[in-house]
Amino acid sequence: MRYAKVHFEDVQVGDEMPALVKGPIRQIQLTRYAGASGDFNPIHQDPEFAQAAGMGGVFAHGMLSMGFVAQSVTDWLGVGTVRKLGVRFTALVRLKDVVTCRGRVVGTSEKNGERLVELEVWAENQRGEKVVTGRATAAIPSRLD
Amino acid sequence: MAVQVNRSVIGKEYPAYVVTVERGKIKEFARAIGDLNQHYLDDAVGRASPWGDVIAPPTFPITFRDERADAETLLHDLGVDISRVLHGEQEFEVHRPIRPGETFTCRTRIVDIHEKAGRSGPMAFVRRETSIVDRAGDLVGTMRHTTVVRL
Repeated sequence: MRYAKVHFEDVQVGDEMPALVKGPIRQIQLTRYAGASGDFNPIHQDPEFAQAAGMGGVFAHGMLSMGFVAQSVTDWLGVGTVRKLGVRFTALVRLKDVVTCRGRVVGTSEKNGERLVELEVWAENQRGEKVVTGRATAAIPSRLD
Repeated sequence: MAVQVNRSVIGKEYPAYVVTVERGKIKEFARAIGDLNQHYLDDAVGRASPWGDVIAPPTFPITFRDERADAETLLHDLGVDISRVLHGEQEFEVHRPIRPGETFTCRTRIVDIHEKAGRSGPMAFVRRETSIVDRAGDLVGTMRHTTVVRL
């Protein structure tokens, strides 16, 4: 079995990451994510609570969308490659939303013997509105390894 | 009435807490995201991998919680209600993969609080940082959380 999905020599600034489509988001996934992550904020579970909080209804954990973004990177570059992932949550993800994760290579470098790929990453909903924006750094193997 | 955030907690360090990574929890977490990568889910694939076991997805350390250092404790310290907070930003720095059975010591501190005018009114941005250190004393990763409080 090969672990390297993409080699450093194959990656160039401007390359686009294959898109990853997740959803539509259903309540059961938010409940599962609450249990798996330990984040039981009722704003993701209880419509009345979310309304009373002025949020116009239930919305997804930001961390679930970040998990989607992380998956989009590892699906392309391989598991165990992510060295850094930082995001901003820019819009709420609602029930029935479809979240598409995208990315683009913005830099390549070598540091401490690792070959690093820097990506601009984001996720957008079915209306093309960005719900997550961020950066990822992944260490990937070389064909020379 | 505008909400006030207790700024005196800037610099506060929460009690260190110890977590042990459970095999089933890694799989539950990956499945909840819908990431069915076999390196997270299949023990045989894990054993045959360079890591010798399944590994955790990149955002898994968000499950490293302790009631003395969690979001509810933070809200209590800030003096705000859970209905007023949103997750603004999150960052993970990962120095090596995390495997089942590993034990880590986590330390969280409040790095900064600053207020800004947002689209829907004034907001406070509360930045916390959690370091994750293994039994050998090596830093395995760092989490940086930014919580937004609607004032």
